[in-house]
Amino acid sequence: MNAHRLGLAAVRSASASTPFFSQTLPRSLLAATLSTSSSSSLSTPSLKRPITTQKLSPEEGQQVLANQRLNRPVSPHLGIYKMEQTWFGASAWTRITGCTLSGAAYVYFTAYLVSPLLGFHVESAALASGFAALPFVLQGAVKFALAFPFTFHFINGIKHLVYDLGVGFAKKDIILGEKLLWISSLIGGGYLAFGL
Amino acid sequence: MAALRSSSRILSSSSRAAFRPSAVFARSMATVSETEQQPRIKSFQIYRWNPDTPTEKPRLQTYSIDLNKTGPMILDALIKIKNEQDPSLTFRRSCREGICGSCAMNINGQNTLACLCRIPAESSSDVKIYPLPHTYVVKDLVPDLTHFYKQYKSIEPYLQRDTPAEDGKEYRQSKADRKKLDGLYECILCACCSTSCPSYWWNSEEYLGPAILLQSYRWLVDSRDERTAARKSKLENSMSLYRCHTILNCTRTCPKGLNPGKAIAEIKKQMALGA
Amino acid sequence: MASIVRPSLLRQTALAAKPAFRNSALRASAFHTSTRRSAFISPGPQRIEGTVNDPAPVPPPSAAHGSYHWTFERLLAAGLVPLSVAPFAAGSLNPTTDAILCSAVLLHSHIGFQSVIIDYIPQKSHPGLRKLFMWGLNLATLTVGVGLYEFETNDVGVTEAIKKLWKA
Repeated sequence: MNAHRLGLAAVRSASASTPFFSQTLPRSLLAATLSTSSSSSLSTPSLKRPITTQKLSPEEGQQVLANQRLNRPVSPHLGIYKMEQTWFGASAWTRITGCTLSGAAYVYFTAYLVSPLLGFHVESAALASGFAALPFVLQGAVKFALAFPFTFHFINGIKHLVYDLGVGFAKKDIILGEKLLWISSLIGGGYLAFGL
Repeated sequence: MAALRSSSRILSSSSRAAFRPSAVFARSMATVSETEQQPRIKSFQIYRWNPDTPTEKPRLQTYSIDLNKTGPMILDALIKIKNEQDPSLTFRRSCREGICGSCAMNINGQNTLACLCRIPAESSSDVKIYPLPHTYVVKDLVPDLTHFYKQYKSIEPYLQRDTPAEDGKEYRQSKADRKKLDGLYECILCACCSTSCPSYWWNSEEYLGPAILLQSYRWLVDSRDERTAARKSKLENSMSLYRCHTILNCTRTCPKGLNPGKAIAEIKKQMALGA
Repeated sequence: MASIVRPSLLRQTALAAKPAFRNSALRASAFHTSTRRSAFISPGPQRIEGTVNDPAPVPPPSAAHGSYHWTFERLLAAGLVPLSVAPFAAGSLNPTTDAILCSAVLLHSHIGFQSVIIDYIPQKSHPGLRKLFMWGLNLATLTVGVGLYEFETNDVGVTEAIKKLWKA
């Protein structure tokens, strides 16, 4: 604040000492210089305005703004935000896992419905025998690919139901909950896939 | 944008010689004299986009400054860069103490206020600074928050009641009722939480976002307000409130330590119970 | 007060130091625009309805899409917790619980997919695409519903099928 005032005072005192700005200059002369639009008045640096302005009606002003808006870029989001809150966020993964499971179910039951028409076999017996023929590692991988989404969706679903009661919103609880969720769902998924 | 105008720029050329030595001592934060210290150079990568050349793609520009000659906060660094290296760098700032909400931006992947965010001096990695995510950029770090403010206006953020005060003077409130407003009235509408919310990223047109919903809750729980039912009916649709999926980025990012996630959960609870 | 003074003092020294700093420190690096790589529909150029002083429009109230929908969704989800554990924990085969489980899961999935569509296909900018996806989803859910009915009546039932597959 003080510096600004100091600055203004300095400008004032500086201008006072310059004869051009001083009040002693006859006003009529100044007006005459301003009114002549010849090159001589423009060449005087003190009178040259750095910005030219244009008078616009409010509607025209709105239009200028609207046109400026059309050029604006969208600032980056998923690419720059903290990974653990976007790509590895629990809520996003609830959706991903849910869509995986439901998507698989939708595909399977649609296939089951149309299989007699197209002549292929996806009945449970055929599926089970086909699955039994797979090597153990592949069996485990398929099981884990189904079991992990289930445990994750299940556990985080419960967590979200607790949130809906208005409980557990402290920042440290959120972070702890997220850690526990990933650990428990990975262990749970592993157990269902390989332990049973 | 206009906030950075300063009258001192005009006189600097004339008074430079006289002011310079004292200014060097004035801005030195260290107790030891500067000559003995090694310069601690820190690089800042800052998002740049200029509306005067709209066809040019946004880019990151790197600036290096000596932390020994800089204040502790990110905002100090930004001001130093603007002063000493690139006057065209544009950002909003005003109070420098976390009460105006102007300098909200994305710093190292998290939305926060530049004035409340320390420069991570221990780590050697660059500091990355972007405007608030998924907003339309006016210039550099300045996002357009017009729609955000229009949404705020749509919830009618003021006391509404029909019955006059009992004593004819003021609307009284019990201590318990007043306590309900704690953690809500402190919000400075910096838009950090709203622009951290993926749901708001995809649906900012219709979803109100955490900041506005926190304010909505602030008027819903106010015991003096008599338009609770009308306020709730404004939220009774699939977009305004129910695009919230409890992602909780809002609570994690709030620079004021408030809890928009909890406020929204309380609204949902109230709406479900019809209370 | 002191820190308000600081920027303006800085500015003066800054201008003195400027020529030396300027060119060496300005290094620009190429920047990826993440909007283009985004998996979601681009928001398009910015358009704002009305002036800065008009409030954003408020949709007409409809509890069926609002609080009732939310409450139903939560009750359904809460109900699914015991429903999905019980058949496997008890180990008993019961066509009734199997049917209840299947219809609840189907409804839960349908609501979930609907929510995905609402989130990622904005009604305002892509009304046609939104309609297409919503009807596509309705058709898919209907098909799956019939498929489930067939599976329950002609095959061994969902619970038993999962058990068989897991023990294969």
